Amino acid sequence: MPVLSWKDAATPGHGAGPPGDDRAAGIGELALRHLDAAYNLGRWLLGNEQDAADAVHDAFLRATASGGSRVDGNPRAWWLAIVRNCCLARLAVHGRERRNVALDQVAAEHGRDAADAVVPPLDEPIEERLEHEQRRALVRHHLARLPPEFREVLLLRELEALSYREIADVLDLPIGTVMSRLARGRAALQKAINPAANEVDDGL
Amino acid sequence: MDCRRSGDVPLYFDGELDPAATREFERHLDDCDECRATLVGLDALRRDVRAAMPRVGAPAALRERLLALAAPARRRHWPAIAAAAAVAFAVGAVATSVWRTREATRDALARDLFASHWRSLAATSPVDVVSSDRHTVKPWFAGKVAQAPLVRDFAADGYALVGGRVDYVGDARVPVLVYRHGQHLIDVFVLGDADAAAVAPTSRRGYTLDPLVLGHQPAAVVSDLDAEELARFAAQLAAAEP
Ligand SMILES: [Zn+2]
Repeated sequence: MPVLSWKDAATPGHGAGPPGDDRAAGIGELALRHLDAAYNLGRWLLGNEQDAADAVHDAFLRATASGGSRVDGNPRAWWLAIVRNCCLARLAVHGRERRNVALDQVAAEHGRDAADAVVPPLDEPIEERLEHEQRRALVRHHLARLPPEFREVLLLRELEALSYREIADVLDLPIGTVMSRLARGRAALQKAINPAANEVDDGL
Repeated sequence: MDCRRSGDVPLYFDGELDPAATREFERHLDDCDECRATLVGLDALRRDVRAAMPRVGAPAALRERLLALAAPARRRHWPAIAAAAAVAFAVGAVATSVWRTREATRDALARDLFASHWRSLAATSPVDVVSSDRHTVKPWFAGKVAQAPLVRDFAADGYALVGGRVDYVGDARVPVLVYRHGQHLIDVFVLGDADAAAVAPTSRRGYTLDPLVLGHQPAAVVSDLDAEELARFAAQLAAAEP
């Protein structure tokens, strides 16, 4: 008899945009509907908020400039693919080395924000607060060290809640590659952050 | 690591199975400790990643900048967009596009409300919480939406409360009360003031959208009631007291 029901475990989409009829939406409206997803994608690809905002702005102009030449695929994936391309273009201009530090920069920002925002103030004992922040720091540390191609798939899935098909469209990969990268990224991260635990966690 | 179904766990977890396969796999999960443990591990990992990398909302300034570009973009070609953008930035004349924005907002809102209604009609159940009496519905909304709606059952007058759900309108999560009148399902969306102001009577594919009030709360109703049935229902809602 499981203590934790699997129905609880299957959490619904976290970063998914509000459902709406993307196909019927104008390009500008589509982009605005998925602006948070675009902005967060920019943040963790570029490592800072100003660059992320600028890249999204570039992407918006590029998307609207493409007029009606919308692809048949998923509209959100189409828009996020443009955002990603604009981010990569910026990285190419500003130097490759920044890509490697980007996640660490975001992580550092997150560390500050998370300490303020995520942890409930005062009513949580200080030891628990520290413990939670240490856990978050550990996860960020190992995320930053994942091979980039695994990390990107993992973050699009876990943070932005894109479907396999959407991730494949954003990254221009076969869906089978998305699945194997996701599986390998998850396994690697699980192993890194739970070094002591066996794969099967029956403690719950 | 022996269960031959272990490969289905991530597919289930990521929502990639179709409804029939999902139900079938849930029956397997009831009996398989191994797959359940894998699922719990995936869920723990997702929670860890989300806690470590919290998402943030896009800055309001960025949203406004793009919104100013978006409205005219619908009708003009690229050189005009660039020109309009240049002008808008040069003179700070965001106001020039305000009326277009308002029109776009109204259209987007109507689209969200109709889409929500149609989606619910197509779903297995139009509600996430079933009303056995209104005391089950009202507490269900607590914590899910900014403001809990007034919940009243008008079964005695032919409009029975079926239950409630939460849906997105624009970026906001809003409470939806679902009523039944004969064969008709009626959605009542309880809206914030800004959204409520943007609701205009509209009809699409035989369904209508109308602004009304639920007690003191601004709301919108989507249904396929005829005008007379709708008027009677609206009167009931308006007369509801907290
Ligand atoms: Zn199994």
